[in-house]
Amino acid sequence: MSTNEEILELAKDRRLPETHLKRWLALDDASRDAILETARTLKLRTGQLVVTIEELDEISVREQTTPAEILARDSLRRIIENAGSAPGRARAFVDKLNAVRFPMLRQTSDDLAAAVAALKLPRGVSVVLPKALSSDELAVALKFRTMAELERMLAVLDASRPALGRILDKLGGK
Amino acid sequence: MKFDLDEIMIDLESRGSALAERVAAACGDATPIRYVEDARAAALPRASDRDPFGAAKRRMLIMRRRSPFLMACPAGSSKFACCGYLVLTLASNCPMDCSYCFLQEYVADNPAFQLFSNYSDAFDELDRMLYASPARSFRVGTGELADSLAFDSITAISRDLIEFFAARPRLTLEFKSKTAEIDNLLTIDPRGRVMVSWTLSPDAVFRSSEHRTAAPSERIAAARRVLDAGYRVAFHFDPIIAYEAAERDYSTLIDELLDTIPPARISFVSMGGLRMTPSLRAAARRRHPSDPMLCGEDVLAPDGRLRAFTPLRLRLYRALADKFKAAGAEVPAYLCMEPASVHQRVFGTAPARPSVLGEQLARGAEANSQ
Repeated sequence: MSTNEEILELAKDRRLPETHLKRWLALDDASRDAILETARTLKLRTGQLVVTIEELDEISVREQTTPAEILARDSLRRIIENAGSAPGRARAFVDKLNAVRFPMLRQTSDDLAAAVAALKLPRGVSVVLPKALSSDELAVALKFRTMAELERMLAVLDASRPALGRILDKLGGK
Repeated sequence: MKFDLDEIMIDLESRGSALAERVAAACGDATPIRYVEDARAAALPRASDRDPFGAAKRRMLIMRRRSPFLMACPAGSSKFACCGYLVLTLASNCPMDCSYCFLQEYVADNPAFQLFSNYSDAFDELDRMLYASPARSFRVGTGELADSLAFDSITAISRDLIEFFAARPRLTLEFKSKTAEIDNLLTIDPRGRVMVSWTLSPDAVFRSSEHRTAAPSERIAAARRVLDAGYRVAFHFDPIIAYEAAERDYSTLIDELLDTIPPARISFVSMGGLRMTPSLRAAARRRHPSDPMLCGEDVLAPDGRLRAFTPLRLRLYRALADKFKAAGAEVPAYLCMEPASVHQRVFGTAPARPSVLGEQLARGAEANSQ
Protein backbone atom coordinates (compact mmCIF):
# COMPACT_ATOMS: atom_id res chain seq x y z
CA MET A 1 0.00 0.00 0.00
CA SER A 2 1.39 3.45 -0.90
CA THR A 3 1.60 6.27 1.62
CA ASN A 4 -1.25 8.08 -0.09
CA GLU A 5 -3.44 4.99 0.14
CA GLU A 6 -2.60 4.63 3.81
CA ILE A 7 -3.47 8.28 4.40
CA LEU A 8 -6.76 7.85 2.55
CA GLU A 9 -7.59 4.82 4.64
CA LEU A 10 -6.81 6.59 7.91
CA ALA A 11 -8.71 9.69 6.79
CA LYS A 12 -11.73 7.56 5.95
CA ASP A 13 -11.53 5.81 9.29
CA ARG A 14 -11.30 9.14 11.16
CA ARG A 15 -13.80 10.91 8.89
CA LEU A 16 -11.25 13.63 8.31
CA PRO A 17 -12.77 16.67 6.56
CA GLU A 18 -12.01 16.82 2.84
CA THR A 19 -10.19 20.16 3.11
CA HIS A 20 -7.75 18.76 5.66
CA LEU A 21 -7.20 15.60 3.69
CA LYS A 22 -6.33 17.71 0.64
CA ARG A 23 -3.88 19.78 2.68
CA TRP A 24 -2.26 16.62 4.00
CA LEU A 25 -1.94 15.04 0.57
CA ALA A 26 -0.49 18.25 -0.88
CA LEU A 27 2.50 18.15 1.49
CA ASP A 28 5.98 16.93 0.60
CA ASP A 29 6.61 13.18 0.95
CA ALA A 30 8.50 13.39 4.23
CA SER A 31 5.79 15.52 5.84
CA ARG A 32 2.99 13.24 4.67
CA ASP A 33 4.85 10.27 6.16
CA ALA A 34 5.65 12.03 9.41
CA ILE A 35 2.04 13.05 10.03
CA LEU A 36 0.85 9.54 9.21
CA GLU A 37 3.33 8.01 11.63
CA THR A 38 2.35 10.50 14.36
CA ALA A 39 -1.37 9.93 13.81
CA ARG A 40 -0.91 6.16 14.04
CA THR A 41 1.48 6.13 16.97
CA LEU A 42 -0.60 8.47 19.09
CA LYS A 43 -3.94 7.22 17.74
CA LEU A 44 -4.98 10.82 17.12
CA ARG A 45 -8.72 11.36 17.13
CA THR A 46 -10.40 13.38 14.36
CA GLY A 47 -10.27 16.71 16.17
CA GLN A 48 -6.65 16.16 17.17
CA LEU A 49 -5.70 15.25 13.61
CA VAL A 50 -7.45 18.36 12.27
CA VAL A 51 -5.59 20.58 14.74
CA THR A 52 -2.29 18.82 13.94
CA ILE A 53 -2.64 19.37 10.20
CA GLU A 54 -3.73 23.00 10.63
CA GLU A 55 -1.08 23.97 13.14
CA LEU A 56 1.76 22.19 11.36
CA ASP A 57 0.78 24.01 8.17
CA GLU A 58 0.71 27.40 9.90
CA ILE A 59 3.95 26.85 11.81
CA SER A 60 5.69 25.72 8.63
CA VAL A 61 4.52 28.85 6.77
CA ARG A 62 5.58 31.15 9.57
CA GLU A 63 8.94 29.49 10.19
CA GLN A 64 9.67 28.64 6.55
CA THR A 65 10.10 24.97 7.31
CA THR A 66 8.21 21.72 6.71
CA PRO A 67 5.87 19.71 8.94
CA ALA A 68 8.40 16.84 8.86
CA GLU A 69 11.10 19.10 10.28
CA ILE A 70 8.75 20.40 12.96
CA LEU A 71 7.75 16.87 13.98
CA ALA A 72 11.44 15.92 14.19
CA ARG A 73 12.07 18.45 16.96
CA ASP A 74 13.13 16.92 20.26
CA SER A 75 10.30 18.44 22.27
CA LEU A 76 7.70 16.75 20.05
CA ARG A 77 9.65 13.51 19.38
CA ARG A 78 9.97 12.92 23.09
CA ILE A 79 6.19 12.92 23.46
CA ILE A 80 5.59 10.79 20.37
CA GLU A 81 8.17 8.16 21.38
CA ASN A 82 7.50 8.21 25.11
CA ALA A 83 6.03 5.34 27.01
CA GLY A 84 2.55 5.83 28.39
CA SER A 85 -0.97 5.65 27.11
CA ALA A 86 -1.64 6.81 23.57
CA PRO A 87 -4.52 9.12 24.59
CA GLY A 88 -2.35 10.82 27.22
CA ARG A 89 0.52 11.28 24.81
CA ALA A 90 -1.88 12.52 22.13
CA ARG A 91 -3.19 15.21 24.48
CA ALA A 92 0.37 16.17 25.47
CA PHE A 93 1.41 16.26 21.81
CA VAL A 94 -1.45 18.55 20.77
CA ASP A 95 -0.75 20.80 23.74
CA LYS A 96 2.96 21.02 22.87
CA LEU A 97 2.20 21.67 19.21
CA ASN A 98 -0.15 24.46 20.27
CA ALA A 99 2.67 25.97 22.33
CA VAL A 100 4.89 25.97 19.24
CA ARG A 101 2.10 27.54 17.18
CA PHE A 102 1.39 30.23 19.82
CA PRO A 103 4.67 30.76 21.70
CA MET A 104 4.04 34.30 22.92
CA LEU A 105 0.48 33.50 23.94
CA ARG A 106 1.66 30.47 25.88
CA GLN A 107 4.37 32.45 27.65
CA THR A 108 2.02 35.30 28.55
CA SER A 109 -0.70 32.89 29.69
CA ASP A 110 1.78 31.04 31.89
CA ASP A 111 3.02 34.31 33.41
CA LEU A 112 -0.52 35.46 34.14
CA ALA A 113 -1.53 32.09 35.57
CA ALA A 114 1.50 32.24 37.84
CA ALA A 115 0.53 35.75 38.95
CA VAL A 116 -3.00 34.56 39.73
CA ALA A 117 -1.66 31.56 41.67
CA ALA A 118 0.60 33.88 43.66
CA LEU A 119 -2.49 35.69 44.98
CA LYS A 120 -3.06 32.58 47.13
CA LEU A 121 -6.77 33.20 47.18
CA PRO A 122 -8.86 31.09 49.56
CA ARG A 123 -11.12 28.32 48.37
CA GLY A 124 -14.29 29.73 46.85
CA VAL A 125 -12.56 32.71 45.28
CA SER A 126 -11.25 32.38 41.76
CA VAL A 127 -9.78 34.82 39.30
CA VAL A 128 -10.55 33.73 35.77
CA LEU A 129 -8.41 34.87 32.86
CA PRO A 130 -10.15 35.36 29.50
CA LYS A 131 -10.00 32.30 27.28
CA ALA A 132 -6.88 32.46 25.09
CA LEU A 133 -6.39 36.00 26.44
CA SER A 134 -8.91 37.11 23.86
CA SER A 135 -10.12 40.14 25.80
CA ASP A 136 -8.91 42.53 28.49
CA GLU A 137 -11.56 41.43 30.94
CA LEU A 138 -10.78 39.65 34.18
CA ALA A 139 -13.53 37.73 36.00
CA VAL A 140 -13.69 37.06 39.71
CA ALA A 141 -15.99 34.30 40.91
CA LEU A 142 -17.08 33.90 44.51
CA LYS A 143 -18.78 30.83 45.92
CA PHE A 144 -20.07 31.21 49.45
CA ARG A 145 -22.85 30.04 51.74
CA THR A 146 -22.82 32.60 54.52
CA MET A 147 -22.41 36.35 54.78
CA ALA A 148 -19.37 35.79 56.96
CA GLU A 149 -17.72 33.80 54.15
CA LEU A 150 -18.54 36.56 51.69
CA GLU A 151 -17.07 39.23 53.94
CA ARG A 152 -13.86 37.22 54.36
CA MET A 153 -13.58 36.78 50.61
CA LEU A 154 -14.16 40.48 49.94
CA ALA A 155 -11.51 41.34 52.51
CA VAL A 156 -9.01 39.04 50.82
CA LEU A 157 -9.82 40.54 47.44
CA ASP A 158 -9.45 44.03 48.84
CA ALA A 159 -6.02 43.13 50.18
CA SER A 160 -5.14 41.77 46.73
CA ARG A 161 -5.91 45.02 44.90
CA PRO A 162 -2.31 45.92 43.99
CA ALA A 163 -1.58 42.44 42.67
CA LEU A 164 -4.89 42.34 40.78
CA GLY A 165 -4.02 45.71 39.30
CA ARG A 166 -0.72 44.31 38.04
CA ILE A 167 -2.52 41.35 36.48
CA LEU A 168 -4.94 43.72 34.75
CA ASP A 169 -2.04 45.81 33.50
CA LYS A 170 -0.32 42.75 32.10
CA LEU A 171 -3.56 41.70 30.45
CA GLY A 172 -3.65 45.17 28.92
CA GLY A 173 -0.19 44.73 27.45
CA LYS A 174 1.83 46.70 30.00
CA MET B 1 1.01 52.79 -11.05
CA LYS B 2 -0.08 50.45 -13.79
CA PHE B 3 -2.44 47.56 -13.22
CA ASP B 4 -3.17 44.81 -15.70
CA LEU B 5 -6.77 44.48 -16.80
CA ASP B 6 -8.04 41.50 -18.77
CA GLU B 7 -11.07 43.36 -20.04
CA ILE B 8 -13.27 46.38 -19.54
CA MET B 9 -17.01 45.77 -19.44
CA ILE B 10 -19.44 48.65 -19.83
CA ASP B 11 -23.11 48.17 -19.14
CA LEU B 12 -25.40 49.50 -21.84
CA GLU B 13 -26.81 52.19 -19.58
CA SER B 14 -23.31 53.53 -18.96
CA ARG B 15 -22.34 53.57 -22.63
CA GLY B 16 -21.47 57.11 -23.56
CA SER B 17 -21.14 58.24 -19.93
CA ALA B 18 -18.29 60.60 -19.17
CA LEU B 19 -16.59 57.93 -17.08
CA ALA B 20 -16.85 55.25 -19.79
CA GLU B 21 -15.53 57.68 -22.39
CA ARG B 22 -12.57 58.67 -20.23
CA VAL B 23 -11.66 55.07 -19.45
CA ALA B 24 -12.00 53.99 -23.09
CA ALA B 25 -9.84 56.89 -24.24
CA ALA B 26 -7.18 56.24 -21.60
CA CYS B 27 -6.95 52.51 -22.28
CA GLY B 28 -6.99 52.75 -26.07
CA ASP B 29 -6.60 49.37 -27.72
CA ALA B 30 -4.57 47.94 -24.86
CA THR B 31 -7.54 46.31 -23.13
CA PRO B 32 -10.56 44.81 -24.88
CA ILE B 33 -13.86 46.58 -24.20
CA ARG B 34 -17.11 44.66 -24.11
CA TYR B 35 -20.62 46.01 -23.66
CA VAL B 36 -22.87 44.03 -21.35
CA GLU B 37 -26.61 44.07 -20.89
CA ASP B 38 -26.73 42.67 -17.37
CA ALA B 39 -24.18 44.38 -15.15
CA ARG B 40 -25.15 42.35 -12.10
CA ALA B 41 -24.40 39.12 -13.91
CA ALA B 42 -21.13 40.53 -15.18
CA ALA B 43 -20.05 41.29 -11.63
CA LEU B 44 -20.45 37.70 -10.47
CA PRO B 45 -17.48 35.42 -9.82
CA ARG B 46 -16.73 32.96 -12.59
CA ALA B 47 -16.51 29.37 -11.48
CA SER B 48 -14.19 28.59 -14.36
CA ASP B 49 -11.48 30.82 -12.89
CA ARG B 50 -8.91 29.07 -10.72
CA ASP B 51 -9.01 32.06 -8.35
CA PRO B 52 -12.40 33.71 -9.00
CA PHE B 53 -11.77 36.63 -6.66
CA GLY B 54 -8.31 37.37 -8.01
CA ALA B 55 -9.44 37.07 -11.61
CA ALA B 56 -12.37 39.42 -11.00
CA LYS B 57 -9.96 42.14 -9.92
CA ARG B 58 -8.71 42.24 -13.51
CA ARG B 59 -12.20 42.76 -14.96
CA MET B 60 -13.24 46.40 -14.80
CA LEU B 61 -16.99 46.88 -14.93
CA ILE B 62 -18.44 50.33 -15.52
CA MET B 63 -22.05 50.33 -14.40
CA ARG B 64 -24.72 52.43 -12.75
CA ARG B 65 -25.11 52.18 -8.99
CA ARG B 66 -28.67 51.59 -7.85
CA SER B 67 -28.04 51.85 -4.10
CA PRO B 68 -27.17 55.04 -2.24
CA PHE B 69 -23.55 56.09 -2.56
CA LEU B 70 -23.29 57.44 0.97
CA MET B 71 -23.35 55.12 3.95
CA ALA B 72 -22.00 54.75 7.44
CA CYS B 73 -18.66 52.96 7.58
CA PRO B 74 -19.35 49.20 7.44
CA ALA B 75 -16.79 48.66 10.20
CA GLY B 76 -18.98 50.63 12.59
CA SER B 77 -20.74 48.81 15.42
CA SER B 78 -22.16 49.62 18.83
CA LYS B 79 -19.54 47.22 20.22
CA PHE B 80 -16.73 49.52 19.11
CA ALA B 81 -15.72 53.11 19.68
CA CYS B 82 -16.00 54.44 16.13
CA CYS B 83 -14.66 57.49 14.33
CA GLY B 84 -17.84 58.69 12.64
CA TYR B 85 -16.44 58.06 9.18
CA LEU B 86 -18.87 58.22 6.27
CA VAL B 87 -18.20 56.16 3.19
CA LEU B 88 -18.88 57.21 -0.37
CA THR B 89 -18.92 54.07 -2.51
CA LEU B 90 -17.78 55.12 -5.97
CA ALA B 91 -16.10 51.80 -6.75
CA SER B 92 -16.09 48.27 -5.43
CA ASN B 93 -13.06 45.99 -5.18
CA CYS B 94 -9.53 46.96 -5.88
CA PRO B 95 -6.81 46.08 -8.39
CA MET B 96 -4.30 45.52 -5.61
CA ASP B 97 -4.32 42.26 -3.73
CA CYS B 98 -3.52 42.46 -0.03
CA SER B 99 -3.63 39.02 1.51
CA TYR B 100 -5.52 40.25 4.58
CA CYS B 101 -8.10 42.33 2.69
CA PHE B 102 -11.66 42.09 4.01
CA LEU B 103 -13.03 42.46 0.50
CA GLN B 104 -12.13 38.81 -0.08
CA GLU B 105 -15.18 38.07 2.04
CA TYR B 106 -17.17 41.30 1.76
CA VAL B 107 -17.52 41.36 -2.03
CA ALA B 108 -16.89 37.67 -2.70
CA ASP B 109 -20.30 37.33 -4.33
CA ASN B 110 -19.84 40.22 -6.77
CA PRO B 111 -16.11 40.68 -7.03
CA ALA B 112 -15.67 42.39 -10.41
CA PHE B 113 -13.84 45.70 -10.11
CA GLN B 114 -16.83 48.02 -10.40
CA LEU B 115 -16.78 51.74 -11.12
CA PHE B 116 -20.06 53.60 -10.97
CA SER B 117 -20.77 55.80 -13.98
CA ASN B 118 -23.46 57.83 -12.19
CA TYR B 119 -21.06 58.83 -9.42
CA SER B 120 -22.09 62.48 -9.67
CA ASP B 121 -25.44 61.44 -8.12
CA ALA B 122 -23.43 61.10 -4.91
CA PHE B 123 -23.05 64.87 -4.85
CA ASP B 124 -26.82 65.29 -4.47
CA GLU B 125 -26.78 62.87 -1.55
CA LEU B 126 -24.01 64.85 0.12
CA ASP B 127 -25.85 68.14 -0.36
CA ARG B 128 -29.00 66.65 1.11
CA MET B 129 -27.02 65.50 4.13
CA LEU B 130 -25.54 68.96 4.63
CA TYR B 131 -28.99 70.53 4.33
CA ALA B 132 -30.42 68.09 6.89
CA SER B 133 -27.63 68.75 9.45
CA PRO B 134 -26.80 72.43 9.14
CA ALA B 135 -24.57 72.59 12.21
CA ARG B 136 -22.41 69.56 11.60
CA SER B 137 -19.16 68.80 9.79
CA PHE B 138 -18.52 65.46 8.15
CA ARG B 139 -15.52 63.42 7.11
CA VAL B 140 -16.35 61.44 4.01
CA GLY B 141 -14.04 58.92 2.39
CA THR B 142 -13.95 56.94 -0.82
CA GLY B 143 -11.41 54.36 0.24
CA GLU B 144 -13.42 51.73 2.05
CA LEU B 145 -14.58 49.32 -0.65
CA ALA B 146 -11.84 50.32 -3.08
CA ASP B 147 -8.57 52.19 -3.12
CA SER B 148 -9.41 55.87 -3.69
CA LEU B 149 -6.65 56.50 -6.20
CA ALA B 150 -5.66 53.19 -7.77
CA PHE B 151 -7.14 53.93 -11.19
CA ASP B 152 -7.32 57.70 -10.95
CA SER B 153 -4.91 58.15 -13.84
CA ILE B 154 -7.57 56.77 -16.16
CA THR B 155 -10.81 57.69 -14.39
CA ALA B 156 -9.85 61.16 -13.11
CA ILE B 157 -12.76 60.95 -10.66
CA SER B 158 -10.62 62.71 -8.08
CA ARG B 159 -10.89 65.99 -9.98
CA ASP B 160 -14.69 66.10 -9.79
CA LEU B 161 -14.60 65.12 -6.15
CA ILE B 162 -12.06 67.75 -5.20
CA GLU B 163 -13.98 70.48 -6.98
CA PHE B 164 -17.17 69.48 -5.19
CA PHE B 165 -15.66 69.23 -1.72
CA ALA B 166 -13.49 72.32 -2.06
CA ALA B 167 -16.66 74.39 -2.29
CA ARG B 168 -18.28 72.96 0.86
CA PRO B 169 -16.72 74.10 4.12
CA ARG B 170 -18.50 71.53 6.30
CA LEU B 171 -17.29 68.56 4.32
CA THR B 172 -13.86 66.98 4.43
CA LEU B 173 -13.03 64.46 1.73
CA GLU B 174 -10.60 61.67 2.54
CA PHE B 175 -8.89 59.78 -0.23
CA LYS B 176 -7.44 56.58 1.23
CA SER B 177 -4.76 54.77 -0.74
CA LYS B 178 -1.83 52.40 -0.90
CA THR B 179 -0.63 53.85 -4.19
CA ALA B 180 1.46 56.85 -5.18
CA GLU B 181 -1.10 57.83 -7.81
CA ILE B 182 -1.31 61.53 -7.07
CA ASP B 183 -0.74 63.26 -10.41
CA ASN B 184 -4.33 64.48 -10.76
CA LEU B 185 -4.32 65.78 -7.21
CA LEU B 186 -1.31 67.96 -7.86
CA THR B 187 -3.14 69.87 -10.59
CA ILE B 188 -5.99 71.15 -8.37
CA ASP B 189 -6.14 73.46 -5.36
CA PRO B 190 -8.13 71.58 -2.70
CA ARG B 191 -8.65 74.76 -0.66
CA GLY B 192 -7.89 72.85 2.51
CA ARG B 193 -10.94 70.65 2.22
CA VAL B 194 -9.33 67.44 1.06
CA MET B 195 -7.27 64.95 3.00
CA VAL B 196 -5.21 62.15 1.54
CA SER B 197 -4.48 59.25 3.84
CA TRP B 198 -2.23 56.29 3.37
CA THR B 199 -2.26 52.92 4.96
CA LEU B 200 1.26 52.29 6.18
CA SER B 201 2.87 48.96 6.94
CA PRO B 202 6.47 47.96 7.57
CA ASP B 203 8.45 46.64 4.61
CA ALA B 204 8.11 43.08 5.88
CA VAL B 205 4.31 43.29 5.66
CA PHE B 206 4.43 45.11 2.32
CA ARG B 207 6.65 42.45 0.78
CA SER B 208 4.72 39.56 2.22
CA SER B 209 1.14 40.71 2.00
CA GLU B 210 0.48 43.89 0.02
CA HIS B 211 0.72 42.76 -3.57
CA ARG B 212 0.76 45.36 -6.34
CA THR B 213 0.77 48.29 -3.90
CA ALA B 214 3.33 51.08 -3.77
CA ALA B 215 6.19 50.54 -1.34
CA PRO B 216 5.74 52.25 2.05
CA SER B 217 8.54 54.71 1.29
CA GLU B 218 6.79 55.65 -1.97
CA ARG B 219 3.55 56.25 -0.09
CA ILE B 220 5.33 58.50 2.40
CA ALA B 221 7.04 60.41 -0.40
CA ALA B 222 3.67 60.87 -2.13
CA ALA B 223 2.23 62.17 1.14
CA ARG B 224 4.93 64.79 1.31
CA ARG B 225 4.14 65.94 -2.23
CA VAL B 226 0.41 66.31 -1.64
CA LEU B 227 1.06 68.04 1.67
CA ASP B 228 3.16 70.59 -0.16
CA ALA B 229 0.36 70.97 -2.68
CA GLY B 230 -2.12 72.04 0.00
CA TYR B 231 -3.71 68.76 1.01
CA ARG B 232 -4.03 67.46 4.53
CA VAL B 233 -2.47 64.10 5.22
CA ALA B 234 -3.33 61.28 7.58
CA PHE B 235 -2.06 57.75 8.10
CA HIS B 236 -3.68 54.47 8.91
CA PHE B 237 -1.62 51.86 10.70
CA ASP B 238 -4.24 49.32 9.92
CA PRO B 239 -3.95 46.43 9.96
CA ILE B 240 -1.18 46.26 12.49
CA ILE B 241 0.19 42.75 12.23
CA ALA B 242 1.75 41.31 15.36
CA TYR B 243 4.61 39.32 13.88
CA GLU B 244 7.79 38.68 15.81
CA ALA B 245 9.70 41.85 14.87
CA ALA B 246 6.59 44.03 14.64
CA GLU B 247 7.39 46.49 17.41
CA ARG B 248 10.82 47.26 16.02
CA ASP B 249 9.60 47.48 12.41
CA TYR B 250 6.63 49.74 13.15
CA SER B 251 8.94 51.98 15.15
CA THR B 252 11.33 52.22 12.18
CA LEU B 253 8.38 52.98 9.91
CA ILE B 254 7.20 55.82 12.16
CA ASP B 255 10.75 57.21 12.23
CA GLU B 256 10.74 57.25 8.43
CA LEU B 257 7.33 58.90 8.37
CA LEU B 258 8.25 61.62 10.87
CA ASP B 259 11.52 62.29 9.06
CA THR B 260 9.43 63.21 6.01
CA ILE B 261 6.24 64.65 7.49
CA PRO B 262 6.42 66.88 10.58
CA PRO B 263 4.08 65.48 13.23
CA ALA B 264 2.28 68.79 13.55
CA ARG B 265 1.22 68.49 9.91
CA ILE B 266 -0.35 65.06 10.33
CA SER B 267 -4.11 65.42 10.64
CA PHE B 268 -4.51 62.13 12.46
CA VAL B 269 -3.34 58.56 12.69
CA SER B 270 -5.57 55.57 13.11
CA MET B 271 -4.55 52.16 14.35
CA GLY B 272 -6.26 48.82 14.07
CA GLY B 273 -4.97 45.34 14.70
CA LEU B 274 -5.44 42.67 12.06
CA ARG B 275 -8.90 41.18 12.52
CA MET B 276 -10.52 38.56 10.40
CA THR B 277 -13.68 36.55 10.65
CA PRO B 278 -12.89 32.84 10.49
CA SER B 279 -14.36 32.66 6.99
CA LEU B 280 -12.28 35.62 5.81
CA ARG B 281 -9.20 33.99 7.25
CA ALA B 282 -10.02 30.75 5.48
CA ALA B 283 -10.44 32.61 2.18
CA ALA B 284 -7.24 34.57 2.72
CA ARG B 285 -5.25 31.46 3.59
CA ARG B 286 -6.64 29.66 0.56
CA ARG B 287 -5.60 32.51 -1.75
CA HIS B 288 -2.30 33.30 -0.03
CA PRO B 289 -1.18 30.01 1.50
CA SER B 290 2.45 30.99 1.98
CA ASP B 291 1.97 34.40 3.61
CA PRO B 292 3.39 34.15 7.15
CA MET B 293 1.55 37.34 8.16
CA LEU B 294 -1.68 35.34 8.11
CA CYS B 295 -0.24 32.89 10.64
CA GLY B 296 0.18 35.14 13.64
CA GLU B 297 -0.87 34.45 17.20
CA ASP B 298 -4.52 35.21 16.53
CA VAL B 299 -7.30 33.98 18.77
CA LEU B 300 -11.07 34.17 18.53
CA ALA B 301 -12.10 37.44 20.18
CA PRO B 302 -15.50 38.12 21.79
CA ASP B 303 -16.67 39.88 18.61
CA GLY B 304 -16.22 36.67 16.60
CA ARG B 305 -13.08 37.84 14.81
CA LEU B 306 -9.60 36.42 15.00
CA ARG B 307 -7.24 38.97 16.49
CA ALA B 308 -3.77 38.94 18.04
CA PHE B 309 -4.27 37.96 21.67
CA THR B 310 -5.07 41.00 23.78
CA PRO B 311 -1.82 41.76 25.69
CA LEU B 312 0.19 41.47 22.48
CA ARG B 313 -2.19 43.66 20.47
CA LEU B 314 -2.45 46.31 23.15
CA ARG B 315 1.30 46.39 23.68
CA LEU B 316 1.73 47.21 20.01
CA TYR B 317 -0.93 49.94 20.08
CA ARG B 318 0.71 51.50 23.09
CA ALA B 319 4.19 51.32 21.54
CA LEU B 320 2.96 53.16 18.44
CA ALA B 321 0.99 55.73 20.43
CA ASP B 322 4.02 56.37 22.66
CA LYS B 323 6.24 56.75 19.61
CA PHE B 324 4.05 59.54 18.24
CA LYS B 325 3.82 61.16 21.67
CA ALA B 326 7.59 61.09 21.97
CA ALA B 327 7.85 62.91 18.65
CA GLY B 328 6.83 66.03 20.53
CA ALA B 329 3.50 66.84 18.91
CA GLU B 330 0.07 65.66 19.80
CA VAL B 331 -1.14 63.77 16.76
CA PRO B 332 -4.87 63.04 17.02
CA ALA B 333 -5.28 59.29 17.07
CA TYR B 334 -8.01 56.72 17.29
CA LEU B 335 -8.39 52.96 17.17
CA CYS B 336 -10.51 51.23 14.55
CA MET B 337 -12.88 48.42 15.56
CA GLU B 338 -11.82 48.28 19.18
CA PRO B 339 -14.04 48.62 22.24
CA ALA B 340 -13.94 51.69 24.47
CA SER B 341 -11.99 49.79 27.14
CA VAL B 342 -9.10 49.32 24.75
CA HIS B 343 -9.09 53.04 23.87
CA GLN B 344 -8.99 53.79 27.57
CA ARG B 345 -6.03 51.46 28.11
CA VAL B 346 -4.04 52.75 25.13
CA PHE B 347 -4.70 56.48 25.32
CA GLY B 348 -5.64 56.85 28.98
CA THR B 349 -8.94 58.53 28.14
CA ALA B 350 -12.39 57.36 27.11
CA PRO B 351 -13.11 57.75 23.41
CA ALA B 352 -15.50 60.43 22.22
CA ARG B 353 -18.84 59.48 20.67
CA PRO B 354 -18.56 58.67 16.95
CA SER B 355 -20.31 61.84 15.81
CA VAL B 356 -18.10 63.97 18.07
CA LEU B 357 -14.90 62.20 17.03
CA GLY B 358 -15.92 62.48 13.38
CA GLU B 359 -16.27 66.23 13.74
CA GLN B 360 -13.04 66.49 15.71
CA LEU B 361 -11.13 64.64 13.03
CA ALA B 362 -12.61 66.81 10.29
CA ARG B 363 -12.03 70.05 12.19
CA GLY B 364 -8.70 69.02 13.68
CA ALA B 365 -7.57 68.30 10.19
CA GLU B 366 -8.78 71.75 9.23
CA ALA B 367 -6.63 73.34 11.92
CA ASN B 368 -3.64 71.28 10.87
CA SER B 369 -3.82 72.50 7.31
CA GLN B 370 -3.54 76.15 8.29
